[in-house]
Amino acid sequence: MAVKTEQKNGLAVCHVEGEIDINTAPDIKKAFDKLIGKKEPRVVINLAKVTYVDSSGLATLVEILKNMRSYGGKMKLSNMSPKIKSLFEITKLEKLFDIAVSEEDAISKFV
Amino acid sequence: MEKEVVIKASNVKKKFGDRAILNGISLEIYRGETFVIMGGSGCGKSTFLRHVIGALKPDSGSIHLLGKDISKLNEDDLDKVKKRIGMCFQSSALFDSMTVGENVALALKEHTKLDKSVIDIVVKMKLEMVGLRGFEDLMPSQLSGGMRKRVGLARAIAMDPEIVFYDEPTAGLDPIVAGVIDKLIIDLSKKLAITSVVVTHDMKSVFSIADRVAMLYEGKVLEVGTPAEIKASKNAMVQQFVNGSPDGPIRFFQQKDDYIEQLLK
Amino acid sequence: MDFIENIGRTVLDTFRATRDVMALLFETLYWLVMGPFKKKFSKREGIFTQMAYAGVDSVIIAFFVSFFTGVVIAMQSAYQLQRFGANIYVAPMVAISIARELGPVLTSLVVAGRVGAAITAELGTMKVSEQIEALDTMALNPIRFLVVPRFLALLIMLPCLVMFSDLMGIMGGFLVGVFNLRLNPYRYITFSFQFMVWKDVWTGLVKSAVFAMIITMVGCYMGLKTKGGAEGVGKSTTASVVTSFILIILFDSILTCVFYFFNT
Repeated sequence: MAVKTEQKNGLAVCHVEGEIDINTAPDIKKAFDKLIGKKEPRVVINLAKVTYVDSSGLATLVEILKNMRSYGGKMKLSNMSPKIKSLFEITKLEKLFDIAVSEEDAISKFV
Repeated sequence: MEKEVVIKASNVKKKFGDRAILNGISLEIYRGETFVIMGGSGCGKSTFLRHVIGALKPDSGSIHLLGKDISKLNEDDLDKVKKRIGMCFQSSALFDSMTVGENVALALKEHTKLDKSVIDIVVKMKLEMVGLRGFEDLMPSQLSGGMRKRVGLARAIAMDPEIVFYDEPTAGLDPIVAGVIDKLIIDLSKKLAITSVVVTHDMKSVFSIADRVAMLYEGKVLEVGTPAEIKASKNAMVQQFVNGSPDGPIRFFQQKDDYIEQLLK
Repeated sequence: MDFIENIGRTVLDTFRATRDVMALLFETLYWLVMGPFKKKFSKREGIFTQMAYAGVDSVIIAFFVSFFTGVVIAMQSAYQLQRFGANIYVAPMVAISIARELGPVLTSLVVAGRVGAAITAELGTMKVSEQIEALDTMALNPIRFLVVPRFLALLIMLPCLVMFSDLMGIMGGFLVGVFNLRLNPYRYITFSFQFMVWKDVWTGLVKSAVFAMIITMVGCYMGLKTKGGAEGVGKSTTASVVTSFILIILFDSILTCVFYFFNT
């Protein structure tokens, strides 16, 4: 599991790699707590290299979204694999998140 | 595609005192399927389930659960395997001193480093799956039997297990609630790709949920097959059980001739 | 022959139960010591709840018993001592018998009836309703999760409770001494503490710690081996209280002998 953050067009793009599950979710949360601490207004999370998400992982993403909204920040998810997309649908979370097809798509929607 | 075996029992035997409960059970259960173990009361199906989850140890034979021989594991390694399975108990077995939410959250709180706020979200998601969102703060004693079963199910899937075991999930419930529970079992195993192992004697639910069925009788496997195969079985005992008829090779009354003599003794 | 058979069976059962309780005690101590190293702490909140239940909630009944015991001892000893004109010796008599003997024993008996019974009933109910098994399948060791917090809570709270009970008992005697026997209050107090030595107090506290272990171990053992529904819970609870009472009296005699013969 790894989180890399870069600045692109004035917004933060986070590349998450590996699994987001019971074991890694606490570290993911810590990585995003830094961004939240800086009150980053616009964040894109690129999930292209995420192989697996479990319910703790989903809950962590919800928590990150909640914390960002508390200061008016916005967050979009992009590049989900079909397997992960269907997981969002089963858990009825696809309505909660802004889900974009690609990173560029997500960035362009922000601008 | 090769089917992955997640549970493999080979010649499992168990005696309680002089009474042999399991007389050499061998079964294979594959990943992703819903496997039903059926049989009459006292045929050893619940005892077999206790062996598979590691609560009881066999006298002889071995049980491989998720690739590990669980009768040979030490406690720490057994705990690691146990975190990957979930169990729904016949009596729900909710912790009476905790709220519904705390019941579902317990394993996450004890076994993970997740923040409380994240755990709260997981609990809401799991309760939503069983249709009980908003019941977090109630105590188990305030719930009906069917609701308790569903909370037990939410608790069993809290850690995203690979296998969920159900011990008589529909026992003691009215037909509608039993139908709801059956539907939940199907939903969970199909949507989340969980392997389900169900122990039951409720024939209606057997045929609505099972991918494969094993019939146990007197601690032995009588027959294994798809529901259709079981229905068409030539085995008289299986037929008797499926049709629920009192007459047949399985005797429920002790037919002894000394009845009159005993009365006069 | 039946009679001898019964004796044999009872002895064997007692032997087996003793072995099982000792095994439970060792496992509890193992988790108590090793738990923190394995990063498996017993829940702090759990221990505090247990401490509040076992200790704080027992205060009133323990005080009630000790206070009136103090009153009664003062009167009974005054009845004897008056004949020798030695009324003032009521003070050390009450203080020492309470601190060495009656405070720890009576308080422990009260706690065994209240807390020991509750432990057995709770764990017994959990056992018969599959909750213990549920803990086990969730990879939560029932001993670490249920027994250790109760053990620790009572081990801390019972000696504290005994200390306060001792003071209440002495106060009961004091009231009799001052208002009935017309003794000088100041002299009563100084006389009490002049005769009482440190050893009188710590032997009482050692006793109470041993009794605390007896109460939790017997309570948990009886609870965890409960079988057979609500009726089984009732039987276990009765057995738990009776066994605790017997063991408390037995160990009290043993410890008193030890302290008596190894008089340092």
